Amino acid sequence: MNGHGWQFSRVCLYQNGQTLMKKIVLAVGFCFGLCRTAFAADTLADLPEWLALGHYQKGWFGYEGTIGSDNFYVSPEGKNNPLKELEATVTLFQSDDVEKKCLFPARYMFLKKHGLVSTPFPSCAEFEQFKEDLQPAGMTLLFTDAYMNNSSSLFGHTLLRVDTARKGTQLLAHGINYGAWTQGYENSFLYAVYGLAGFYPGGYTVKPYYDIINTYNNIENRDIWEYNLNLTSEELDLFVAHIWEVGQTTTPYYFFTQNCSYMLMELFDAVRPELNLAAGFKGQTIPLDTIKAVNAREGLVKSVNYRPSRQRKIRYRIKQMNERQYDAFLDAITLDLTETQNLPEDEKADVLETAYQYVQYQYVAGDLALKDYRQKSFQLLRARNQAAAGQKFDELKEGQNPVLSHDSMMVSLGVGVQNGDVFEQLSFRPAYHLVTDRGYGFLSGAEIDFLDVSFRHYDKHDKYVLDKLNVLQLSSFSPINAVFQAMSYRIGLDVSRQINPKSEDEGYVLNGNVGGGGTFALSDHFWFYGLSSVEAAYGGFLPNNQWFGAGLAAGMIVSFEKAALQAEVKKVFATDKIGSALKWHLTADYYFSRNQALETIFTYTQNYGKNQNEVLVRLKQYF
Amino acid sequence: MKKVLLASLMLSAAVVFSAPAQAVDSTGCGLGSMAWRGQSGIIPQLAAVTTNGTFGTQTFGITFGTSGCDPNGRVTGGTQKMVLAFLENNLEQFAMDAAAGQGETLTTLAGIMNMDEKTVAEKTYQNFAVLFPNENVDAVDVTLKFYQIMKA
Repeated sequence: MNGHGWQFSRVCLYQNGQTLMKKIVLAVGFCFGLCRTAFAADTLADLPEWLALGHYQKGWFGYEGTIGSDNFYVSPEGKNNPLKELEATVTLFQSDDVEKKCLFPARYMFLKKHGLVSTPFPSCAEFEQFKEDLQPAGMTLLFTDAYMNNSSSLFGHTLLRVDTARKGTQLLAHGINYGAWTQGYENSFLYAVYGLAGFYPGGYTVKPYYDIINTYNNIENRDIWEYNLNLTSEELDLFVAHIWEVGQTTTPYYFFTQNCSYMLMELFDAVRPELNLAAGFKGQTIPLDTIKAVNAREGLVKSVNYRPSRQRKIRYRIKQMNERQYDAFLDAITLDLTETQNLPEDEKADVLETAYQYVQYQYVAGDLALKDYRQKSFQLLRARNQAAAGQKFDELKEGQNPVLSHDSMMVSLGVGVQNGDVFEQLSFRPAYHLVTDRGYGFLSGAEIDFLDVSFRHYDKHDKYVLDKLNVLQLSSFSPINAVFQAMSYRIGLDVSRQINPKSEDEGYVLNGNVGGGGTFALSDHFWFYGLSSVEAAYGGFLPNNQWFGAGLAAGMIVSFEKAALQAEVKKVFATDKIGSALKWHLTADYYFSRNQALETIFTYTQNYGKNQNEVLVRLKQYF
Repeated sequence: MKKVLLASLMLSAAVVFSAPAQAVDSTGCGLGSMAWRGQSGIIPQLAAVTTNGTFGTQTFGITFGTSGCDPNGRVTGGTQKMVLAFLENNLEQFAMDAAAGQGETLTTLAGIMNMDEKTVAEKTYQNFAVLFPNENVDAVDVTLKFYQIMKA
């Protein structure tokens, strides 16, 4: 208290000691105005409101401001000292530095509310223009689902939308995106390393919402979920003012922690400190987790809206086609409109509209030259315009809300038998999802298995072992049909305990594999796939320390609301006998609830002419 | 060998660690730069998409361009500027909605023009062939025609 008081006085004297007049005013008015301010600032600097506006997080050595730009903190010591920052901000608003004052409209609101400023906020042309363009009417949190073709988007993405009061639709609203400025480094080997080390600056961009829709829905074919927030008009004003404050700053971007989703949590806290959202994401920030946290705060989300991707819309339309419409559609996308013209009048429009959307999809996917694309688009639309009857198909309005998906982390406990030896197993997985996990709310066929670690205790020899560390497995199973042809792939890297069937020794092996292939869907519930892969293994325990090989796998994925099953057979041809194996694998899950499941895993391996088998039954808890 | 494997292990870990990242394109508005983002991915599906910067304005069939976009990336300006900017960035969806006589872009345009939504929808539907006489129209043509039709 004393120390703080002294510090503040010093600021007072410095500021006011410039002229004799002010010195006199200071002496006389000491206990009337300024001193009161000093007292107030001392306690106000500890208010969650102020701490959140300054993006202060409590660390081991006191407070530290998250924001990287020097100009975000007015005081030279402001990044680590909320009180000095508050004092400096009060001083700023007593000064004539209009340009600098214009950078801090949200802080002004705070000072005003607590009686620390008596002058009006200056007229700031740029900030006024910003508000005039945005015409804020509300805020919406956006979640875009996973994009398996870009490593930086595997976990989805979050951004904000400032809803607009403009007449028309929310297409004229604005998206506020926090991301890394990686321009020019995207193809660099160091891309990921830079991201981990915080070498990229993170910053904000503003874009019309129609641009956001084009990017996510139409180019990357990702669903957008809109969570409309319940804010008071004061909170909305503060939100927009604070976006203006941070909008000019940059902060080192850490891909796994201080990322797009984390910074949005700090923004929410700045507007409503009692939400205390950022504190929940000290370790890792997975976008979906932040969406869940926001939805879990009572009364914060007032409504949810779903904007399916273009691909999903097309699939939904195709499902509604009758047989002759589907045949006509397949011809229409090659510009043969004869069959379409022969359809009953009220069946034409839907076929032509779907064909037009599909042609756009093809162009973006790079499967169509610009010239053909234009020609097809034009002819399909002209025919659509001439069709006598309008659309009859439903538009896709409902999806699986990601908020209701299983949580990101998982721990499991199980018992099993390996070649007659009974064992108990404990596993932990910090992220994220496999096809046998409850699929609700996740991108179908997409897998991310990250740092999945298992420990075992074997009863017979009473020994504890690390059984497996699955560093990473990424898979994307994407059904191929006459309309959509995406490749399926699987990439894996793990460290596993392995038994040499010949010598019965055991040791650890680093395994890597990369495979590609195709998936065929019999229905939504039954998928079949085939993958060919290259395989490599390394470990001192292996004969010759390593082997290389090629693999062929065939499998089946069955998924229902309450249960799922994956069965696979894989043959590996390797440079060493120990790598050459035939492996059968079956995983079956039953879901008790959103976050609980019972799983059975059965593996059977033929290697060196010997058979190994293993059964594991485990309970999985997501959290 | 050990080093190579260690390096690849670290790299894969780094790839995963980088997962929640989302790159921002620093070129500002338009979709051109966004389209290139896919290149950094595992399968550069979007690599074939080209940004065509040589056109003075957005032509039918080019989703990606930076012309006519506000440098601040905001919806701004008077009615005519907004209509042009909107059509440049949403031409394909507008073409579809115009051909069908309904849709989100027509509602939006009605809002910008401060006109009755139904009137806008009917007029664009009836005048589709005027708005899009051939496959090589550009956003400026369409905007001018759109204005003529709305005033008629």
